[in-house]
Amino acid sequence: MQHPRSYRLKFPEPVPSEADSGFPGSSATPSVLRVRPASPPPKGPGEQPALALESRELWIAAHVPQLSLLALRAAAPAGSSARSSLIVVDPEHQQRVIDADAAARAAGVRLGMTLGAALAAAPGIEARPRDVVRERELMQRLVGIAATFTPQVSIESPDGLLLEIRPSITLFGGLRELCRRLRDACRADPLFGQADAAPHFTLAPTTLAALVAARAGARCFITDAAVLPARLKPLPLTALRWPEEQNARLTAMGVRTLGELMRLPRAGFARRFGPAMLADLDRLLGRRADPRARLVRRERYRGVCDLDHEIEDHEHILQALAPLLAELETFLRARQRGITALQCRFHHYRAAPTHCTLRLAAPEASAERFTGLLRERLATLTLPGPVRRCELRGGALTHRAITSKPLWSPGERGHASAGEMPALVEHLRARLGNTAVYGIERVAAHRPENAWRVAEPALGGTDTANNPGGAFRRPLWLLGAAQPLEAQRGRPRHDGPLELLAGPERIESGWWDGADVRRDYYVAGDRHGVRLWIYRDMETKRWFLHGIFG
Amino acid sequence: MPAANDRQLQELLAHPSVWRGRSRAAVETLPTGFAALDAGLPGGGWPRHGLVEILTPRPGVGELYLLLPALAALSRATPARWCTWVSPPHQPFAPALEAHGAALDRMLMVNTHLPLWAHEQALRSGACGIALAWLPRASPRAIRRLQLAAEQGRALGVLYRSERFAHLASPAMLRVLLEPLNQDGRHGARLRLLKSRGGSREPIDITWTAAAA
Repeated sequence: MQHPRSYRLKFPEPVPSEADSGFPGSSATPSVLRVRPASPPPKGPGEQPALALESRELWIAAHVPQLSLLALRAAAPAGSSARSSLIVVDPEHQQRVIDADAAARAAGVRLGMTLGAALAAAPGIEARPRDVVRERELMQRLVGIAATFTPQVSIESPDGLLLEIRPSITLFGGLRELCRRLRDACRADPLFGQADAAPHFTLAPTTLAALVAARAGARCFITDAAVLPARLKPLPLTALRWPEEQNARLTAMGVRTLGELMRLPRAGFARRFGPAMLADLDRLLGRRADPRARLVRRERYRGVCDLDHEIEDHEHILQALAPLLAELETFLRARQRGITALQCRFHHYRAAPTHCTLRLAAPEASAERFTGLLRERLATLTLPGPVRRCELRGGALTHRAITSKPLWSPGERGHASAGEMPALVEHLRARLGNTAVYGIERVAAHRPENAWRVAEPALGGTDTANNPGGAFRRPLWLLGAAQPLEAQRGRPRHDGPLELLAGPERIESGWWDGADVRRDYYVAGDRHGVRLWIYRDMETKRWFLHGIFG
Repeated sequence: MPAANDRQLQELLAHPSVWRGRSRAAVETLPTGFAALDAGLPGGGWPRHGLVEILTPRPGVGELYLLLPALAALSRATPARWCTWVSPPHQPFAPALEAHGAALDRMLMVNTHLPLWAHEQALRSGACGIALAWLPRASPRAIRRLQLAAEQGRALGVLYRSERFAHLASPAMLRVLLEPLNQDGRHGARLRLLKSRGGSREPIDITWTAAAA
């Protein structure tokens, strides 16, 4: 509840005879929506007819009525503070009460009160700040349930959820069947199945209409956009969640319901309240498109296994991990995805948990591969004590190319399988570390030490089109650091006098980055027949060995 | 009938896994890039699957030039597999490799204190066309493992060792002793095939190509 203004629905008795006015399967909440008999066409912002074309979307909104309360309850251990009455205050919002449980409400606490006023009304209550992170987690949980019905799910922060279900209707055997299943799925959930936590569902052709009805706790099952204005009329203005001052202005004008709002003249309304609010109203009635971004769930695998007894042996740890790895494989295969990182945590009795992270060069989903890599990694790992608990966390899911098994084994008839190449890199890295295995690439620079760099091993296709570099005479080996050479009468020596065979080649570069070089490079031969690449530093006139030819 | 038997016998003997004492067994080979060496080697080139041991008096006498044409060809083959370098003594210089025609994106460097393990894994994986390794020491048993791994992974394994080990027995498929040859401005090497299945007994002199200079 963002707006602390409380309202009471003052509507006549529920109308049980209306067959389609309630969300199928919903419990007997009082119906506050009913179709009014044909009234004279409204003259206000609602006067134009709804979209002429048939609405192509159908939205279900789910509203969790007391989300912030639920979040605090769910976070607390069961039964710890069930007795005392609880209120939730918003520290961002001058410590005002944003939610209160039934006992606190009975004691006179109203939403929007300051904390001081609430404590004065009911001294024994417990006030807690809202837990936004936990609230978000709860909504994510609800998304998890909703996403089995449609991929188009979005969270309407903080406590609303929107599902576009038009494309799923046929699949689930009709609209009513789909709604029933959705409700049953929520009831089956241990958290949202509780009586006071059950989300309120509504169905409408526009997102805002569904949301507004859900927030107002109204029964709403509308598929026809043409009846929207009539059906939304009795709903309170606050359900739109407009800024509080605008609501106050409208209330001062005598506007309390959406019906009264729709009667206001369009031009005057826009002049007084700005085009944004008029646009909201247009969206509400389906006169303006209201696209929602699809929520992409961030899915991760996490598995824990508690061991019956402490184990130290690597093979036994691997055996204990085997069911988790099998589960991970099923998880990934079901989604046709792979992971490129896998973290293992081994919990010990006394020491801090040991972490080990596997990084894979290409997305992978096979338990066998993970086991092989873990075996290598475990061999390099020293555990501070016996393991009593293993935890497995998969990284972000990535697209995995699914290939069929090749007919030929790699190397046979010039065949190379795509899978083996990243596998080798991962295998070596698991044992030797990430930096020990690398590729190289050329850099267009004159200084030899800058003319190459370490690169990630290329896993893509070969770029065979690249032209060989210049015909400069360059050694195949480069020394990590140039090695100073002795000199005798100006002639360099390296295990005997050196014979200069070619050169000099002047390389003068780098004045701009502080690593200024001025060197004359020569090819030199030593008395053993080894060809060396040496240079004379022009500043110090000293000789250095920088490379070996073959 | 005898003619048919003879033909069948010839077919049988031509099988790569059959090797007779003095004959040249038919092995899948890869041209070395040096005509004289091709002529001397069984099958006319480096074996495509197997272990080659190259023994040198000291590092840097041309042992890498010897393999460069094969390395370039394998790295540019389609589909190309990894060309793995296991614990090279220095940093392979990318511009020079590229200038000699090798595709850099197929090169995989492995710096490790476990060269034997890494080399065996690389050869066995099937993901390498060629794997070069510089091993300070290797027992005949370890070399036998490498030889088997190379055959299993259908890779050309190259083992660089010091000529001090030339007198020791080795299970490698081919053993080459390389000595630098620098006479009257000619930069090359003299190769002796210490062990080969039907290769030349005479020393083979080769000259590094102009690019190598």
